[in-house]
Amino acid sequence: MRFRFNRLRVLAVAFAVAVPALAQTPSDYTVPRTPWGDPDLQGVWPGNTGVPMERPEDLGERETLTEEEFAERQQRLQEQAAGDLNPSDEVGIGPPSYWTERGRPVRETSLIVSPSNGRLPALTEEASRYRDEARDGRGLPGAWRGEADRPEDMNIYYRCITRGLLGSIIPVIYNNGNQILQTPGYVVLRNEMIHESRVIPLDDRPQLGTDIKTYMGDSRGRWEGDTLVVETRNFTDKVAIGSNGAGYPGSPGYHSEDLVLTERFTRVSDDILHYEATVDDPRTWVEPWTIRIVLERDDDYRMFEYACHEANYAMYDILSGARAQEAAEGQ
Amino acid sequence: MSSIGARSLVSILVSAIFIVAPALGQDPEGVPRTVGGRPDLNGIWQTFSRANWNLQDHAAYEGPMWELGAIGAVPAGQGVVDGNEIPYLPEAAARKEANFTDRRTDDPEAKCYMPGIPRANYMPYPFQIVQTPTDILFVYEYATANRLIHMGAPQVAVVDSWMGTNNGRWDGDTLVIDVTGLNGLAWLDRAGNFTSSRTHVVERFTRIGPDHIQYEATIEDPTLFLRPWTISLLLYRRAEDNAQLIDFKCVEFAERLLYGEFIVDSDN
Repeated sequence: MRFRFNRLRVLAVAFAVAVPALAQTPSDYTVPRTPWGDPDLQGVWPGNTGVPMERPEDLGERETLTEEEFAERQQRLQEQAAGDLNPSDEVGIGPPSYWTERGRPVRETSLIVSPSNGRLPALTEEASRYRDEARDGRGLPGAWRGEADRPEDMNIYYRCITRGLLGSIIPVIYNNGNQILQTPGYVVLRNEMIHESRVIPLDDRPQLGTDIKTYMGDSRGRWEGDTLVVETRNFTDKVAIGSNGAGYPGSPGYHSEDLVLTERFTRVSDDILHYEATVDDPRTWVEPWTIRIVLERDDDYRMFEYACHEANYAMYDILSGARAQEAAEGQ
Repeated sequence: MSSIGARSLVSILVSAIFIVAPALGQDPEGVPRTVGGRPDLNGIWQTFSRANWNLQDHAAYEGPMWELGAIGAVPAGQGVVDGNEIPYLPEAAARKEANFTDRRTDDPEAKCYMPGIPRANYMPYPFQIVQTPTDILFVYEYATANRLIHMGAPQVAVVDSWMGTNNGRWDGDTLVIDVTGLNGLAWLDRAGNFTSSRTHVVERFTRIGPDHIQYEATIEDPTLFLRPWTISLLLYRRAEDNAQLIDFKCVEFAERLLYGEFIVDSDN
């Protein structure tokens, strides 16, 4: 979460400056080194909001917005940011407006960059069937409104379990802080969104046994030139991919336990880190797909502890509300 | 090369050896050092103490759920409190006893809440210290809690939190962490010892050998205690070749405890 005065200042800068982001070429930049000689990626790298997961179909293979489209996006973000500073007194279900971070508008048309249409590949037959038939025909949790008999009827977002590996990085409207720390032999990616710290060993130690499945998976990293490449396996199938770990429009976003996620972190300037992640899960999608997020260094960004579960009144309210409703309906 | 140049070169080389030596080697006690010459606290650590069951000396006693049999029982343990006494004020002592009675449902550990400081360091789970040239991150396996230790300019605790605002400094070879901004919702053990939002903790981490860190924490809170008191215990390095943290996201195991009365299913 960013302090308000910082947010104001950053917004002011954001709207005053043109946005070259992806236009920079990595080749003319020398990545600084840690004292032990690894490329130095350390710092706080929040993501910017406003880029949809999937590209609108009418944009075809176009990866960036036109000037007009970009001006529109800037305008929208500016209006949203202005609205954040003038909160209404109405009680709503969203987070308070002082939580919100709009970030700097970027030109990308979608987070998905492969396949080239910027859209999710088709589901496999197995995955389609599973999404309907899971949990004895109740289907996979994920609907924003639905049954509330038990915690498992809600997705991991409601339950404050985690946002999942990708959901912890995909920018949303609050808690977009990502911090990279390095020591000899390790890179640690710390996400503000539900206090994750993924410790990534850089040696060639074997992967965890295949019976050990975890929400955040088991990561192994290596350097390819100055790019940090991280391969992660051992995922549970209880995580949904998408913003906040709550899926994406049109799908709850679940993957299978066979998912292999390959991330590439490339520092292309002092202040820009390109993050790419390829989702390879042949049991769920007919081909691998890749997202790219432009992360921007912000030394003023202060990461706060997000005690999501500890103050999860929503679960209590949803479950108790459902019981109260049933009682009122005489069931 | 002139003789002056040669002498300079020799003196530079000699200086270089003195500067570099600690970085490459270890102290006689086997304490590894970072490139910068500080004691290297990097590693995965865990206590063997019984502190998380009960900070004080205790005989074995029954756990909060007899249904668990011996699995749920509390083993006897030597305390970690200096002098073995926690100097509670009378009201706080009564609250501690009430906490003990209600520990099955009220211990924040049972609810999978973040453990707070100092408890996070002596739970029966490993944690990893990530010591970079600038800052130090503590990553805890339990509840994937973490805390960043600010080693630069001290940060003011602008908001209370479970893991506090952590400002670190080196006192010789000891890492001293000043912890403020604790929200006071955390307990100190499964026996109901507790904290308030006025609790101030000062921790001392001293690596005393290749496999051990001496840990001390002084706990101060004029609303709960007559005087500051100190715990001390040993942290052991997890030396297995394959030692690593495996995230323990315990929320799903606490939901039936927290929301059980409103859950409708065959298990309830």
